[in-house]
Amino acid sequence: METIVFYILAAVTLVGTVLAITARQGVHAIVYLVTSFFALALIFYLLGAPMVASFEVIIYAGAIMVLFLFVIMMLDLGKPEKIQTPKLYDWCPAILLLVVITGSMGVLASRAATPLNAFAGISVQEFSFTLFKRYGAAIEIISMQLLFALVGALYLGRRR
Amino acid sequence: METIAIPAINLAPIMPEIILSCIAMLLLLVNVFVPSESKGYLGVLSLVGLVATAASVVSGWGQPVAAFGGAVQLDNFAVFFKLIFICSAALAILISDKYVVREEINHGELYPLILFATVGMMLMACGMDLMVIFLGLEVLSISLYVLAGFNRGSLKSNEAGLKYFLLGAFSTGFLLYGMALTYGATGSTKIGNIAGFVATNPQVATNSLFVVGMLLIAVGFSFKTAAAPFHMWTPDVYEGAPTPITAFMSAGPKAAAFAAFIRVMIVAFPTLKHDWTDLLWILAVLTMTVGNIIALSQDNIKRMLAYSSIAHAGYALVGFTACNPEGVAGILFYMLSYTFMNIGAFAVIVLIGKKGEANGNVQDFAGLGQKRPLLAAILCVFLFSLAGIPPTAGFVGKFYLFSAAIKSGYIWLAIIGVLNSAASVYYYLRVMVYMYFKPSEEDFDWVGMTPAIAVCLLLCVATTLVLGVVPGTVLELAQKAVQF
Repeated sequence: METIVFYILAAVTLVGTVLAITARQGVHAIVYLVTSFFALALIFYLLGAPMVASFEVIIYAGAIMVLFLFVIMMLDLGKPEKIQTPKLYDWCPAILLLVVITGSMGVLASRAATPLNAFAGISVQEFSFTLFKRYGAAIEIISMQLLFALVGALYLGRRR
Repeated sequence: METIAIPAINLAPIMPEIILSCIAMLLLLVNVFVPSESKGYLGVLSLVGLVATAASVVSGWGQPVAAFGGAVQLDNFAVFFKLIFICSAALAILISDKYVVREEINHGELYPLILFATVGMMLMACGMDLMVIFLGLEVLSISLYVLAGFNRGSLKSNEAGLKYFLLGAFSTGFLLYGMALTYGATGSTKIGNIAGFVATNPQVATNSLFVVGMLLIAVGFSFKTAAAPFHMWTPDVYEGAPTPITAFMSAGPKAAAFAAFIRVMIVAFPTLKHDWTDLLWILAVLTMTVGNIIALSQDNIKRMLAYSSIAHAGYALVGFTACNPEGVAGILFYMLSYTFMNIGAFAVIVLIGKKGEANGNVQDFAGLGQKRPLLAAILCVFLFSLAGIPPTAGFVGKFYLFSAAIKSGYIWLAIIGVLNSAASVYYYLRVMVYMYFKPSEEDFDWVGMTPAIAVCLLLCVATTLVLGVVPGTVLELAQKAVQF
């Protein structure tokens, strides 16, 4: 049962992402991406990570996508762009990425599968213990960093 | 419900970061109440903050202490580098007081951002966890992206900010991917634990995840140190960014990238030492040669110094390739002297410049030797030091770097380094030729010294000469700092 659900969700994620890239309308692309994020969130849930699943929905599907949608509507980018055949040069990054990804997959596929320890998932409590105890320094630094990223964004975006 | 027991944290090792962050946030608050014509006081306040931080850094000398479960460690290595960062930030703030008024970018955000970039650098130097090092790098980079584009009215500055941001984000991806792969292969992000894992499982050295991870980490750091072939962003960013920021970027962040690069490579990947020193050999030769050759044809002095800073990263890489205590001590010494001689040179450029970043070409220095002999002489000291001519700090630094390479058996590397150094004399001397042997109609009457720049020049000249004549004490400190 779980396997079937997983494959359905994986298919939805993949199709959603591909459609998000190929959609001509910016708003359509975002709706596809949100669909793919929801499917991804469910995959995380299946894998025993309810926290990550809820983050995926709240942060990505919720906050970030609303922000994208807001920007697209504000800048009025709703009109589809003209079709342009990408030049050969433009393909370079894509090809590079393809090589990196196939290389990584090849490395992973070439080794014998090691059985994972039984993983029952972690509770919110365990998660927060690890987060604030083991990674306490990182949390502090990130909070400072967000403050100063905000200061910088405000400075650069302020009206002259 | 169980509450999270706050573990007892020893705050002493990160006291410098805490002090500086608090001062930076305080400045943000004060900034709101300070009228725009007296923003200079914020600079004074940030200098006070930097001095307090330096005092707290120095107290960590000689007694390594770790905190946050070994995620950060304040040892001699970190102390030495942190002092370099503090010097570069302080000197950059000193030379910006005149500049920001002239370019009409007298905004109070400048000082907190510089201080916060310094916090990031300090975290990179004392991070013993890949995650802390990465976050330190991000703290530094995000502040620098904004600082590079600080002159919002200037297209070039905007271009610099955007270019640095795009390429910086791209290179950060490499670094992060490398760290993730290393974590996957060894099961820890703490560099001490990685080293422990490698020691007990030597076969991991043939694990492609591990090797690729190490390579990607090296690529990420090479970008930040502006080593060829990852140097493409440097000239545009250095030329476009406001001059005091360029001075800051060429000294502090470069040293910070070296600090993290050295610590990660030497502590976490000792078993692959032969592989990564081979890699660094190639990087060092490429970086020195590309930087020096392209610098030969530059007319814009900021662009020329950008390429020269690439070449100087190459000299430091020579010491890193040698990978012996002398080489690492040489890098420490070189980064310290480079901070003073390079920011000193930029201070003179700030003085000579006119509004709108005008007057930034080598030709504009014509006649400076006759009209402003003292200023020209001061610039000569810095240029001689950059070229590596005794009795200046640059010579001593290069001497130690190259002799460390010879000691490790890299004779050819040292020879290529010396040849490069000789080639670099051309473009430094070219500025002097213009200053002393070319006539000019300009009378340089706009060049007005301010107390802050005078202090900066005095400090830079004194340090460049003192480190060149009696380098013993500092060199000894640098040698004591080579412990991880």
